[in-house]
Amino acid sequence: MSVALAAPPTLVPHAVIERRRGTHAMLLFILTEAVLFLMLFVAYYYLGHSAPVWPPEPPPFTLALVMLALLVASSVVLHWGERQVDSGRQGRGRAATAATILLGVAFLAVQTLEYHRHLQRLQPTSDAYGSIFYAITGLHAAHLVLGLLMLAYVLLLPDINGDRRPPHRPLHNASLYWHFVDFVWVVIVCLIYLAPNVTR
Amino acid sequence: MLNETATRLCALWDRPHTLHGWLATVDHKEIGKRYLVTAFAFLVVGGVEAILIRTQLARSNQAVLSPEAYDQIFTMHGVTMIFWYASPILSGFANYLIPLMIGARDMALPRLNAFTYWTFLFSGAFLYVSPFLGQAPHGGWFAYVPYTNAVYSPGLNMDFYALALLFLTVSTTAGAINFIITILRMRAPGMAISRMPLFLYSTLTVSWSIVFSLPALTAALAMLELDRQWGTHFFDVHHGGSVLLWQQLFWFFGHPWVYIIFLPATGMISMLLPVFARRPIVGYAYVALSTVLTGLVGFGVWVHHMFATGEPQMAMSFFSAASMTISIFSAVQVLAWVGTLASGTPVLTTAMLFALGFIALFVIGGLNGIVTAVIPFDWQLTDTYFVVAHLHYVLVGANVFPVFAAFYYWLPKITGRMLDERLGKWSFWVMFVGFNLTFFPMHIAGLLGMPRRVYTYPAGLGWGGWNLTATIGTYVLTGGILLSLINVLRSRHGAPAGRNPWNADSLEWDTESPPAVYGSELIPAVATRHPLWDEFDEHDDPTHDRALDHARVTLMTSVLDAEPVAVAKMPDDTATPLYLGLALSAVFAALLVKAMWIALGAAAIALLAAAAWLWPEPERDVV
Repeated sequence: MSVALAAPPTLVPHAVIERRRGTHAMLLFILTEAVLFLMLFVAYYYLGHSAPVWPPEPPPFTLALVMLALLVASSVVLHWGERQVDSGRQGRGRAATAATILLGVAFLAVQTLEYHRHLQRLQPTSDAYGSIFYAITGLHAAHLVLGLLMLAYVLLLPDINGDRRPPHRPLHNASLYWHFVDFVWVVIVCLIYLAPNVTR
Repeated sequence: MLNETATRLCALWDRPHTLHGWLATVDHKEIGKRYLVTAFAFLVVGGVEAILIRTQLARSNQAVLSPEAYDQIFTMHGVTMIFWYASPILSGFANYLIPLMIGARDMALPRLNAFTYWTFLFSGAFLYVSPFLGQAPHGGWFAYVPYTNAVYSPGLNMDFYALALLFLTVSTTAGAINFIITILRMRAPGMAISRMPLFLYSTLTVSWSIVFSLPALTAALAMLELDRQWGTHFFDVHHGGSVLLWQQLFWFFGHPWVYIIFLPATGMISMLLPVFARRPIVGYAYVALSTVLTGLVGFGVWVHHMFATGEPQMAMSFFSAASMTISIFSAVQVLAWVGTLASGTPVLTTAMLFALGFIALFVIGGLNGIVTAVIPFDWQLTDTYFVVAHLHYVLVGANVFPVFAAFYYWLPKITGRMLDERLGKWSFWVMFVGFNLTFFPMHIAGLLGMPRRVYTYPAGLGWGGWNLTATIGTYVLTGGILLSLINVLRSRHGAPAGRNPWNADSLEWDTESPPAVYGSELIPAVATRHPLWDEFDEHDDPTHDRALDHARVTLMTSVLDAEPVAVAKMPDDTATPLYLGLALSAVFAALLVKAMWIALGAAAIALLAAAAWLWPEPERDVV
């Protein structure tokens, strides 16, 4: 082999510090979690496919819509906070994160009420519909709690954007997860709460 | 100047030689070695279980094992081999080799890497508590309901199965995420995606498969546990559940898993076979493409495990066609290997023998796989020993034989010592003969109607001779494996390997054997697919720009062209991944016995461990 080989570009950009590995790991984690929810929705329809009536009774959806409003608001607030941090105002970012946590806690409070009412009509052990209904909404609640813990942890950190302490961007990564959990609730409201009420 | 660089790199990357240093290390080479040793130990345990199974079946009406013990042992054999040996051994090679193959100093997320090893180890230990309680899983490795629900399978047996596997999915998912980021973003400058070693293609493909398929297993196992312990009705037909839901979810995960434990093995063959054929692989692009396509189409074949369950005709035809399509991609790979051999000048080393043995077994396993993809044929043979023969030709033929090839090829890099070729060749032939003696007769026993999973059989059905042959074959196969084990132990006094004993082409052979703790002094640069076979000097760097010896850092490059884009700060050693793994073990143990407050407390400790793990290190000048 006497062909002259072109040297590849090798100049090391010493001043550029890598900060995206954590973000990429979070995105892949979100992807695999999204597939997990997808599998549960598939199970929901698969079970419904072999049932004579599905769901046996359409679920009441008023509280689910209130919860949806809370989560959409929390995502907007968090996004605003991130943009403040991008322009160097970490204090405002922290305030927005705290507000997001409050909205998330409010969501859980309303969900407790919703479960309290719902459990009087339907239980996880009633039938397969009850099992999958509480599995999907319960798994979402567990994800929401994890998201809250992430955001609370971010508030404890000395540097929420990873500017001074690389290699990760804590607020950005936690908020990606939070937006994902919010998005899942949108899908749950559409497929599990609204669709059965619309189609009959 | 190079010596000075080496000294500084050593100071940055070496760990204290204490117990804590050993537990806290995040070095991919140490973690890779631990993976290899642990997974091999699971192979030995699973092998002992296989010997027990075959001893019981050697003749009709034997009573070596009771029916219940037989059920537990064949289930543990399957679960151990498929989940705790076949995939983790490949993760071991990938962990050790991939950073060296791409010239990086470590994996992208070294602490996560340590965490994947600890959770792999602890989940396996969790599973192996069960035999000591006499309550090992006994529902087969795919654990069909209703047999595995709380009514027909009381006791902790299947709870161990479900929770140990759930625990393992944490490890497998984390590992896959780490491999994807490492392979896509940390390749040496110039190692464009079109120059990537083929082992990276296969590991990347299966890592994506894991991200997309493993959640189906997670969902199925969680539902099984909820049904068993908390009275839900996912799989309970009396309350609107469906037993087929388990099968759908399990096989949606299960068939991609077959490729997850097979594709990286073919990737290793595509690395070492050309080296011993003394030429670049024929059809690199086709091999890469068929690897990716196998992973992709692997998601569209799962129903071929369920042809006997009464699916709609249209769906069955689709899945039958998809299953046959996949054999085209496998055939492309086989043709590339044969073409490489035919046009090269092959050297028959032990590694090469194992590679050739693999190709032979894989072709048989592929052919009897095609016939089982034909629906009427499958109806005749499903749940017989024919299927057992098929799956062992594919899994042992296409996982164990390539893994042994890989050991004979890469162990000199890892230990710095050559293995004995003479003993190795003996080991190969004994294993090859033993393997075929064991599994070929099972085709015939299956055609004669012998069902799988029976703990014994009556005399006079014509099965006795085939079963006795299979049992003798198992002992021969075991002898062959022991010869290789002796070979490895004896290699402590073997000849020193030097940097590149096989005159191979890929970057890991450019490091010392065993490699220095930091890999290579300068991050290498690459100009072709075969860096060590071309004229380009990977270490041509007069200004020492690529030494990166001022801090614990490595180089990040762009996804497609591998142009340098940033310097990545790598984390210090820490034992927090170990603590997190221990806390999670406590969570799963508490879930097993439904001690929910203890589970909650252990989860809180796990969160604290994670918080300590993620706490940013003190500011330090990395620029």
